[in-house]
Amino acid sequence: MTANKTHVAAEPETGSNGRDDKGSMIPKYERIENFTYPEGVRLAVNFTFNLDAQLLRKLKNEPLMEIPRGEFGGRVGIWRIMDLFDRYDIKLTIFTPGRICELYPRALKEAAERGHELENLTWDKTIPADIEVEKEHIRKTTEALEKISGRRPVGTRSGHKLSLLKAEGYIYTCSTMVPDDMPGYISDDGGKNFMLCFPSSMVLNDAMYFTFGWFGGGNAANRLADPSKVYDIWLSAFRQFYKMGGYMNFILHPFDTGRSMRVAMLERLIIEMKRCPGVWFPTCEEMARYCINRFSIPSEVT
Amino acid sequence: MPWKDGYTTSDEKTRNDEEIQWPRGHQCAFSVVVDYRVKLDDDGTGGTDADYRIQRHPKNIELRTVNWQAEFGVKIGARRLFDLFEKYEIRATFAVPSVMADLYPDDVSQIIRRGHEVAAHGYRHEDIGSLKLEEEKALLQQTTEELEAVCGKRPAGWYSLPRQDEHYAGGQLSPHTLDLLIDAGYEYLGNGMADDIPYYWVTDFHTERNILTLPYYCHFDDQFFLMFPPIGTGMNLENPRPLSQNWKEEFDAQYLRGRYFTMFIHPHLIGWGNRLELLENMIRYIRDFPGVWNPTAIECAQYWKTQYPSSTFLKLEACIWKD
Repeated sequence: MTANKTHVAAEPETGSNGRDDKGSMIPKYERIENFTYPEGVRLAVNFTFNLDAQLLRKLKNEPLMEIPRGEFGGRVGIWRIMDLFDRYDIKLTIFTPGRICELYPRALKEAAERGHELENLTWDKTIPADIEVEKEHIRKTTEALEKISGRRPVGTRSGHKLSLLKAEGYIYTCSTMVPDDMPGYISDDGGKNFMLCFPSSMVLNDAMYFTFGWFGGGNAANRLADPSKVYDIWLSAFRQFYKMGGYMNFILHPFDTGRSMRVAMLERLIIEMKRCPGVWFPTCEEMARYCINRFSIPSEVT
Repeated sequence: MPWKDGYTTSDEKTRNDEEIQWPRGHQCAFSVVVDYRVKLDDDGTGGTDADYRIQRHPKNIELRTVNWQAEFGVKIGARRLFDLFEKYEIRATFAVPSVMADLYPDDVSQIIRRGHEVAAHGYRHEDIGSLKLEEEKALLQQTTEELEAVCGKRPAGWYSLPRQDEHYAGGQLSPHTLDLLIDAGYEYLGNGMADDIPYYWVTDFHTERNILTLPYYCHFDDQFFLMFPPIGTGMNLENPRPLSQNWKEEFDAQYLRGRYFTMFIHPHLIGWGNRLELLENMIRYIRDFPGVWNPTAIECAQYWKTQYPSSTFLKLEACIWKD
């Protein structure tokens, strides 16, 4: 590794020299060196959705009334989000657990038919401790998504082991842990198995503004921002990235952003973005293929 | 794994915008729900009734436990709401814990006389999620009877709205609540979150037993914006602007789609000072739109059940769950 590369700890840093307090390596993140966009592009914007509907509510054993809150995403939100992005001819990357193929097959089939990508958000929002079970989860999710969409998933937003993902043909991961604003590569905790990584900031995550009691945060951690406030934040971010060149990966949730007032806000944002020449709206796979074809994978750290 | 039990409460897909029609060609439905629950704890700062149990009979409640917030809510706030609704010809649904009918019979019967609806909101808006089946059944019966005694008719709808100091802003249900409501002849549940139009909450996927449910969302509920979180537990406190923005932006969007919008208000909160003006401004804003239908909850529920009966329009799809 050369000294001028950017290294960011992918997990909360617990030690120094890239090792945690047990002496193990912590994952490494390296920005793609000398990254450039295709001719004429100043900025890429990935609109990604996490469609986990009620799986997480259920897993966290939230009260009965919370299940329908997640359900809104699968039976209402995802449909109007597809309609919105279709009007502006933007293809989405929809991360979804394999289980959702069983809960909302119609919505997912339709998404695939309309040209949106379905990618891996684990099997059921858990990462099994047993490696054999984890392998099984990745395999089942990959199969379920392929069966429903006719396309084999190549990307994930999950904590699955990169070696296992690679063995199943995955080529990129969308990390919520790396708060960078350019694409890079991330390693596993052995400093190996570098995989293309699209980072994001919580700034671009709708749940930070709209999910009441996110992860059991309680009512003192309420998130009740109105759409216009978030519109202002996201538009400022977009303008800054457009000026300096950058990469934006929106993490949106159909049960939050699928509400009418927020779909309307997102539409205003898309209109503003589309006014600017040189903004590219690839899917994550398109973005990944571009990066992989053009830039080299970092050498493994030992 | 039977069907999608525990994961799904209704069918797979909502009704599309273009599949929704309101009576007499109206473009959009707009309803107002008044949570007529006022805090009944002693200190008046926001205690919870979560630990309340049914054995505490209404006649044992002493008036001293009714704090000044309750007095203000009923005697000042709610009466201001009556006037405001009359001025703009708005009809609202009041979710009333039956103890309020016991304590304030004149005010509660006035709700009916002024053309609004009284729906049930538990005996004391207790946490039904922790009640045993028999307790809950008895409580439901008691609530229904007490409201009937004061209002002259049985309540047709049931609300289980959240409180300010709960960790989840959706309200409480026990696994039995919906079946008990159906058994007791209730026509609708006033707050569910799986849609933003009326929808059917299914309690048994094999028999398709269900209850019509009206949409709730905490982002349209004043209690989460006005002196919230409760004093001493956070720093956001008074947020009138996000509240009115949420109301306005959702109404705008739902109007364009031809769907449904409800605001949830509390007399002791919205009825105070400048907050009332915020509500009045919103009502004036909505009234400027042509074709807005303003039903009470039961009118809306009955319309929906007639126009889109579950026997035809509820589409439960076969389970493909494999393990």
